[in-house]
Amino acid sequence: MPKLVNIKKSVMAADEEHASFIRNIMREKGILMINMIGSPGSGKTTVLEKLLPALDLRCAVIEGDVATSKDAERIAATGTPVVQINTQGGCHLEAHLVRKALQDIPIDDIDVLFVENVGNLVCPAEFDLGESFKMAISSVPEGDDKPLKYPSLFHKARAVLLTKVDLLPFIKFDKSTFWNDVKKLNPKASRFELAALEDKGVDELVNSIKDWLNEVRGN
Amino acid sequence: MHEMSIVEALMEQITKMAQEQNWEAVTRVRLKVGAMRQIVPDILVFCFNVASKGTIMEGAILEMEEVPLRVKCEGCGHIWNDKEFLGLCPECGSIDVNVLGGMELELTNLEVEVKHAKAREH
Repeated sequence: MPKLVNIKKSVMAADEEHASFIRNIMREKGILMINMIGSPGSGKTTVLEKLLPALDLRCAVIEGDVATSKDAERIAATGTPVVQINTQGGCHLEAHLVRKALQDIPIDDIDVLFVENVGNLVCPAEFDLGESFKMAISSVPEGDDKPLKYPSLFHKARAVLLTKVDLLPFIKFDKSTFWNDVKKLNPKASRFELAALEDKGVDELVNSIKDWLNEVRGN
Repeated sequence: MHEMSIVEALMEQITKMAQEQNWEAVTRVRLKVGAMRQIVPDILVFCFNVASKGTIMEGAILEMEEVPLRVKCEGCGHIWNDKEFLGLCPECGSIDVNVLGGMELELTNLEVEVKHAKAREH
């Protein structure tokens, strides 16, 4: 006779413990940790390339990619400490991978830690990395329907970036549809528009990051 | 395709319990899956069947109970179940709504065969 065993425990319990460990470290050290989530090619790395030199804060970056260290090389060129995680096919980062990568991050000497997740709008939204919050990055060429098609990410993100707005004149994209849907899913999210290659919108993001850092430090 | 990661975490948890509690086989695994977890049940079952080959979970039946998305309007207090999150209260149209349920991913219970079962029966 089979025996029934009651468990009632989260399936992801082990990884949730890693996420709590990371969250505690960030709190203890007063670090703002942002989990950046967006499609491949949405401009996550380009935003960082513009943001890092403009922020007069001590930053570090963890790069998540299926393969190559191309993104880490781009970040390293800005002079920012960076660790590359290769997921070898995995479509998202998990907390145990980030915890391991943290060993190579100078956590006693940084204010902000950016984690650039694997390019994907679905899976990364489901895995807590111990971050302060998630940031959704969506670009104009992807279309204005992305918030409703991928509600989980846009619902959870504290900040939403619409990138490549310099392409608006060339692409069928209704900005009011995009932002109205974001507001429906997440009325409290901070909203930004960027054309990073033209340095547009970077200053607004810089100012908000300083505010968020003060917030995590309880200032 | 995060279903394989979930299956790996699930199997790791069950394997650990099986070693501690002396189970010979696991015949049924029951999960509660929130509607907001973006899990495709067929893919989860497929991943489980592939990954469990050669383990004590081989051949086990994976059952999922879907927990509906449950939303509360902070404006008028209305609470409702939904298939997807639309962010609008159907009663008063407010966007000040909060998710109460639908984020679950829980291992609820298992059916197992215990080693030396006879000695343990009443």
